[in-house]
Amino acid sequence: MTTLLEVSNLHATVGDTEILKGLDLSIRAGEVHAVMGPNGAGKSTLSKILAGSEDYVVTAGTIRLDGQDLNDMAPEERAAAGIFLGFQYPVEIPGVSNMVFLKAAFNAQRKQRGEPELDAGEFLAWVRHRVKQMKMDPQMLHRGVNEGFSGGEKKRNEILQMLVLEPKLMVLDETDSGLDIDALKIVAEGINAMRSPQRATLLVTHYQRLLDHVQPDFVHVLAGGRIVKSGGPELARELEEKGYGWLQAA
Amino acid sequence: MLNQDAYTEAFEALLPTLPDAEREARREQLARFFGSGLPDRSLETFKYSDFTALAATPYRLAEMADAGDLSAWMLADADTRVWVNGHAQTPGAAETTEVEGPTSAPAHDGLAALNAAFARPGLQLHLRRGEQQTRPLHILNVSAPAAAGRMIHLRHRIRLEAGASATVVLHDVGLGDAERWITQTLEIDLADNARLQLVRIQDESPSTHCWFQATARIQRDARIELLPVDFGGALVRNDLRLLLQAPGAECGLHGLFAPAGRSHVDNHTVIEHQSPHGISREFCRGLAWDQAHAVFNGRIVVHPGAQKTDSEQRIANLVIGKGAEINAKPELEIHADDVKCAHGATFGQLDETALFYLRSRGVPEATARSLLTFSFAGDVLRRISWPGLREAVTRRFLQRMGGGLDAAELDTGVQQ
Repeated sequence: MTTLLEVSNLHATVGDTEILKGLDLSIRAGEVHAVMGPNGAGKSTLSKILAGSEDYVVTAGTIRLDGQDLNDMAPEERAAAGIFLGFQYPVEIPGVSNMVFLKAAFNAQRKQRGEPELDAGEFLAWVRHRVKQMKMDPQMLHRGVNEGFSGGEKKRNEILQMLVLEPKLMVLDETDSGLDIDALKIVAEGINAMRSPQRATLLVTHYQRLLDHVQPDFVHVLAGGRIVKSGGPELARELEEKGYGWLQAA
Repeated sequence: MLNQDAYTEAFEALLPTLPDAEREARREQLARFFGSGLPDRSLETFKYSDFTALAATPYRLAEMADAGDLSAWMLADADTRVWVNGHAQTPGAAETTEVEGPTSAPAHDGLAALNAAFARPGLQLHLRRGEQQTRPLHILNVSAPAAAGRMIHLRHRIRLEAGASATVVLHDVGLGDAERWITQTLEIDLADNARLQLVRIQDESPSTHCWFQATARIQRDARIELLPVDFGGALVRNDLRLLLQAPGAECGLHGLFAPAGRSHVDNHTVIEHQSPHGISREFCRGLAWDQAHAVFNGRIVVHPGAQKTDSEQRIANLVIGKGAEINAKPELEIHADDVKCAHGATFGQLDETALFYLRSRGVPEATARSLLTFSFAGDVLRRISWPGLREAVTRRFLQRMGGGLDAAELDTGVQQ
């Protein structure tokens, strides 16, 4: 299997504070990785930096996707290269419909990759069955992006966007938070449906809950800005029992 | 110094066209104008807008002119009436030349008197008890290309008797770029249970100075929704006064000001709760491009005895141009104790988190900024209930914004 994401010695700061302090992470195509860790460990920072957030400054290290260096790439270029970030707090954009947003994103990525854009009819067909797959009301396409959506609906909408955009690397930041059990199952089904030998998934989560529905191949513990322990799925259960204290003390 | 000679000359030229009975009253208004002059910055309410800059210009009344092909401004499914340079073009559009004196204290005595001395009749809409106007009324006021230094003065009147309802669009369009001076006043009376949605679009040329004053008196359980939209003009001042005069009267005032270039747009709004159980909602959005300057002053007065007033005012501003400026000031004056009044004003740039969200999906930065700017203005745009007009105003806004978004796609994309 080829290495899809290669993060080496990543250091990043916000203001004067160093948040990531030499983080290494390697994900091969077809794998599901989970990054777990206590609050404030830098989990959300890692996912935002992968997607190209300008809130952070990368002071050292490299991020490569499919061998391509992402460091100098804008968020939209990273998206076209295949990174998708599922937000912990998806943003509401009143008055801009989900349909307009999805089509703008989808066709911009295609254009960036030199692929043909889809017209309105073709795109509608592309979106419709994915809406059904997420058990969402097709009318949602004509509502403002996340406008007036409940927490669960917003998370479901994140997964819908992911299904539509078909990224190579799915980075999901606390996607399980705010979901009831039914919504969690639908979201997990959406993620599992996207698993393929060509894609990889990075689940960033505080809890074991989502991992009961999306089985990870590898589990990493992020603490103090670095990966302090890695293991198989059993590590997540161990963390669920023991908490994170024993690792931070180490 | 006010150029009295030029105004007198223009007045003498107008006089023979007026009915005998009006001439004396008009002459008195001219004298009143000369007495008060034009407002300058020494007045608190005009501290951003100095009209004495116009005082020396020898304005003459604009002649009738050929406006050419106006099809680009026409709206589907509306009854359109056209004025060109202040002259009614549609037969029967202005049956009366009678110009009433101001019926309530004007925002500025001199400006009101100037308008009263020179105004030609604009829209005169009178709906009888229970009359429901089925098609929106589109009043297209065109300033046609003419020599510089022309002025246009119009007086509009809307009167809805009990239970009547109407949708009206006052649409000012400026063609050519000669300097002009336009004043318009609009008196609105809504009797019990009447309903009016009034959209005003000010899209004057960059060299046109404008004063617009609307006063609405709203009776029991009547409702007005006023949506003023400003795109153009040089020195622009709008005075909008909504008077809730009887119990249960309701008003919405949802403005969008979007000046660019060197345009200066000063909006003063006053909502007066003069009676109990009134409801007012005022949601305004301001954007300024280039070196434009926008002013918003929103005053809400709750009179003694206007108990159970329910009032909310939200103003948000987005300064886009590096040399642009927006001044916004809410003013609340509450003289009753059992009322609900909420207000807030925000200033700022586009939300960085929202920008990152869009870009992280692959939307290029420029498009992301356009979509968020549209979303910001859309809060007012989507309150226009008539689809044909909403799309037309949206298209104009997108043209102002640039960025290549498609109005039809954006508009049909979101359910109202």
